[in-house]
Amino acid sequence: MTATVRPSEPMNVIEPHEWRHGTVVAGVKWKNPVGTASGTFQLDACGDYYDVTQMGAICTKGVSPVPWEGNPGPRIAESPAGMVNSVGLQNPGVDHYLADELPKLKELGALVITNVAGHSDEDYAEVTAKLADSDADMLEINVSCPNVSHGGMSVGTDPATLSRLIGRLRKMTDKPMIVKLSPNVTDIVTIAHAAVDAGADALSLINTLVGMRIDIDTGKPIMANRTGGVSGPAVLPIGLGFVWRVRQAIPDIPIIGIGGIDSGEKALEYLYAGANAVEVGAAALTDPTAPMRVARELDDLLDSRPDLAAKLAQGKSW
Amino acid sequence: MTEERFMSTATSAAVVQEAERFGRKPGRRVDEIVRAGTLAEGVYELVIRDAYVARNAKPAQFVNLYPADASLLLPRPFGVAEVTGDEVTLIYQVAGAGTRQFTQLAAGDAVDVLGPLGKPFDLDKSANYVLVGGGLGIPPVMLAAQALSVRDDVTVTTAFGYRNERFADDLVAQYVDAPHSITNEEGNVIDLLDSIVPELEAAAKAGRPPIVLSCGPTPMMKAVAQWGGRHGAEVQLSLEARMGCGYGACVACVVDTPQGRLKVCKDGPVFTSEQLGWVV
Ligand SMILES: Cc1cc2nc3c(=O)[nH]c(=O)nc-3n(C[C@H](O)[C@H](O)[C@H](O)COP(=O)(O)OP(=O)(O)OC[C@H]3O[C@@H](n4cnc5c(N)ncnc54)[C@H](O)[C@@H]3O)c2cc1C
Ligand SMILES: Cc1cc2nc3c(=O)[nH]c(=O)nc-3n(C[C@H](O)[C@H](O)[C@H](O)COP(=O)(O)O)c2cc1C
Ligand code: FES
Repeated sequence: MTATVRPSEPMNVIEPHEWRHGTVVAGVKWKNPVGTASGTFQLDACGDYYDVTQMGAICTKGVSPVPWEGNPGPRIAESPAGMVNSVGLQNPGVDHYLADELPKLKELGALVITNVAGHSDEDYAEVTAKLADSDADMLEINVSCPNVSHGGMSVGTDPATLSRLIGRLRKMTDKPMIVKLSPNVTDIVTIAHAAVDAGADALSLINTLVGMRIDIDTGKPIMANRTGGVSGPAVLPIGLGFVWRVRQAIPDIPIIGIGGIDSGEKALEYLYAGANAVEVGAAALTDPTAPMRVARELDDLLDSRPDLAAKLAQGKSW
Repeated sequence: MTEERFMSTATSAAVVQEAERFGRKPGRRVDEIVRAGTLAEGVYELVIRDAYVARNAKPAQFVNLYPADASLLLPRPFGVAEVTGDEVTLIYQVAGAGTRQFTQLAAGDAVDVLGPLGKPFDLDKSANYVLVGGGLGIPPVMLAAQALSVRDDVTVTTAFGYRNERFADDLVAQYVDAPHSITNEEGNVIDLLDSIVPELEAAAKAGRPPIVLSCGPTPMMKAVAQWGGRHGAEVQLSLEARMGCGYGACVACVVDTPQGRLKVCKDGPVFTSEQLGWVV
């Protein structure tokens, strides 16, 4: 199988752009409906390739109360049209984040969603307390990471545990709080209701699906952590199905659709499924400028869909 | 339904032009293949036209290639082996599905590319640079020979270890002052290094102390690091790791060091043996 150079006009993705179609998520205005997905954006890497202030929002890597070293390598394996990662939330901790990446992002003028990680309710509370009077525009509570043994997904798969945590965090901050949900559940609607009833201002979904790959020469898992989270184009229909079901069940909650988005067309599918905005993850790993390109393609596609564009601009979904 | 498209849409020149106009690095782009062939049994050469890589690639930096088969999503990193005008030479072996597909590419075809990426070798000092490559770790050190060949304050020594065919000796001959190589049957690169100690000592006495630049299988590089420790030589190692992005965004490619887990793609691929804690 060989590639051919495409005859179409290349889309310029870096030059400044007048955004025609914005969205509103939990009262926060985005200049376009496309953000970066947590764990696939770092300012000192991605900022070399495009102007990060041009994104609808920048969602940062999960931030924990103290530095986390993550899981041992290898941390990534390929899967058909997808990838499995077991990074395990390696990050330099909330104090470093507040002193370094956040001020840099805000100085540039980016709209920032800070992704909050924890091993326990205490961890989430500690990070949220420190972010409560920071410059972060929105918080995304990650209760859906499959790569940590405590916290993460174990919180986001049990309605009572989730409700207790979100209720506690709600009292600590007025910042718009997005709860990021896991697809590794039997009934997403129950979980979504638990988050919303406990005070979530918005939901984002999906995080990665639990999966693994095995090296048949050794008979052992490719990743040191054995299992990880699957994402990329292969999970597109799963993400769409989850967003659609939550939208059917909860008509008014703002939803950020995530999973397998690598083009404006796929972002548009999420908007028609009921999302108010989207985040681009794995695609950014295979091309640093992918989030920007998705945003530009979507801006063009919305030109011919004035009804959808108008709803988004009013903070409504399709 | 939407059209399936995982490949970049833009040609190299357009992407590079736009990026440079706005002071950014160019993203993924489509390059033309100038030449594709076989250097030895199981060793392939791929020459791509990418003026940006050609202008900017420094020794030990790599480029990501992406298979045209959209089900293979992750980058395939390869060290830049040689640069001629706007042509960039990569040398690789078949390791799995992606590299197997690359062997089907021919002149005139296209391939998606990102780069150059990573932190290069530090070649600031006046020294005797000893390039120690093992197997397909040879291509990533080859560019150092080419880059150093234009300087008159350095000596370039090679110590290449081949499985059998000496596929790179001729390619670097014009850049190297003191070429040495060995095949598996004859011994390993440590044997080879031991055998040239008198030569290295003479160069050191003449004001060119050895600095080892190495790439190859991890056990080999650990042995090279220890050899450097025993002989008081500075050692820089170019590592490999499975990568998610290759440019620093995902933290998939870590190596454990005494300072914690570092990214091979952005903090490296070059690390000193001290940084890795590989010298005793
Ligand atoms: C900085 C760097 C420079 C390199 N330079 C060269 C070179 O000059 N010549 C050469 O022949 N090889 C080089 N390699 C190794 C080369 O990248 C792999 O052999 C190649 O990616 C395998 O792809 P595949 O599709 O054939 O294998 P598959 O097993 O199908 O690949 C699956 C995934 O695993 C990754 N992977 C598999 N083996 C390796 C490996 N050894 N290192 C890193 N990732 C791997 C692939 O990139 C891919 O993402 C380099 C690796 C790195 C990190
Ligand atoms: C390498 C990698 C790291 C990730 N890290 C995080 C994280 O720290 N916090 C989080 O909430 N989600 C994390 N995710 C999940 C993504 O944000 C996203 O929800 C998921 O990958 C699905 O989207 P995609 O198919 O576009 O990648 C990570 C995903 C990847 C691939
Ligand atoms: S491969 Fe993504 S950070 Fe190195």
